[in-house]
Amino acid sequence: MSEIKNFCAIIATYIIPAISIILIDLLFYIPQSSEFWNLIRLIPFYTGIYFWLSQRPDAFNGVSAFLLGLFSDVISATPLGINIMSYLFLYFLSIRLSSYFNIKKFSYSWLLFSIAMLLTILFKFSIASIFHRTWIPLNLTMLEYLLTITFYPLLARYYMWIELRYIHLEDRYEKI
Amino acid sequence: MRRQRVLFLKENYVLRVLKSFFLAGLFIIALLLVLVHKIDIGLVSGVSKGVLYIGAPLIHAISLPAEGLSYSYKKISEILYIHEENEHLRQENSELYLLKDRMRALQTENRLLKKLLHHIDVPQTNSYTARVIAENNSAFTNSLILYLGNASDFIKSGYAVVNASGLIGRIDIVSGKYARVTLITDINSKIPVISQKSRDRGILVGNNTRKMNLIFPPLMAELHKGDILVTSGVGGGLPPDIPVAKIKRAGVDNITAVPLFSLNELEIVKIIVYDIAPEKEVNKELE
Repeated sequence: MSEIKNFCAIIATYIIPAISIILIDLLFYIPQSSEFWNLIRLIPFYTGIYFWLSQRPDAFNGVSAFLLGLFSDVISATPLGINIMSYLFLYFLSIRLSSYFNIKKFSYSWLLFSIAMLLTILFKFSIASIFHRTWIPLNLTMLEYLLTITFYPLLARYYMWIELRYIHLEDRYEKI
Repeated sequence: MRRQRVLFLKENYVLRVLKSFFLAGLFIIALLLVLVHKIDIGLVSGVSKGVLYIGAPLIHAISLPAEGLSYSYKKISEILYIHEENEHLRQENSELYLLKDRMRALQTENRLLKKLLHHIDVPQTNSYTARVIAENNSAFTNSLILYLGNASDFIKSGYAVVNASGLIGRIDIVSGKYARVTLITDINSKIPVISQKSRDRGILVGNNTRKMNLIFPPLMAELHKGDILVTSGVGGGLPPDIPVAKIKRAGVDNITAVPLFSLNELEIVKIIVYDIAPEKEVNKELE
């Protein structure tokens, strides 16, 4: 019985981060009733992937990034594989950055996220532009990027709450 | 910054190599998916339908409270401005009465002329209404997810989605009671259009912004700023004469147009069922 319980706990450890990212992302799909709110679009997938990989690499792996990419591709009607590749790229960058720098300090983590996300967005921009054989509007991409890094502390706070509440009670990072 | 010894640095070499290959493997699968999508075989559509089948009800459940809030806000604003709106509607109504008589006369004339010319009408169209439950308006894609309800059995890929302003997009995939719509502003969208005024044809191409490009116009096209572009019906995919966009700039080598719809008014839309296969009566007439 305890083995089944343990197995369920391990599965839940992997599922909770993915679900937390999906839930926050779906909020941004809700139709808005004003032009202004339609402009404010964040990309919570990037914040989620970076946060969980940098803070809890034991609860998030490549398969999670792959499945999230697949979900994101289908829901947003992006050509299948483009978001998967960009999330895997961010996964790779996050692993590298978090192994070389002190990501326990939140300000460093924020700075590294802005670098990792910029590189990932440029990577996705190139792949999508090659796929469609035309340039994707870079100004909109940059607006999404700036909004996402601006609201990173808020989104990180949400993921921290999820982690403390549902995964592990461990003080791994400084308070925002 | 202090270099921290975590993750891979403590693990043994074999595990590290395996992990690197695992990531590379996933990356190759993703690349293959992109290539498969480009070739456009049935596999991609199957995977998309499966994921949409699970994902769309989730979005619907999350959007319900927001929908309720938005509905209450709208109702309150309607009550606040009810007097002004009433005045406006009265004025509009009197104008419409005059137009109605004129339209009836034209309709009769049109019917007589069609009979005289043995004109064959475009196929009859049915329509179904659907509710927008999610919209994705990003730099990489412009799409909607619709809740079709019981109409899902009659909806197929490629059908036109319209609202009061005109064409919004086309049904991309249908899965369960939900459908994904590619907006006309999406980079994948290409709509054959014709100018309402000059009858010059072209193809309206989206680029994920509000500015769409008109490609392949005739050399001596008489297109001007403010002209309305409507569907031409060429190719048989869309019914003709649905308003699509308004020309914003008509340069020598670059004609841009803006869509007639606004994203914030997409709540309930209409799906036009349009199959080009001629009806029995038309077949008989053709024979």
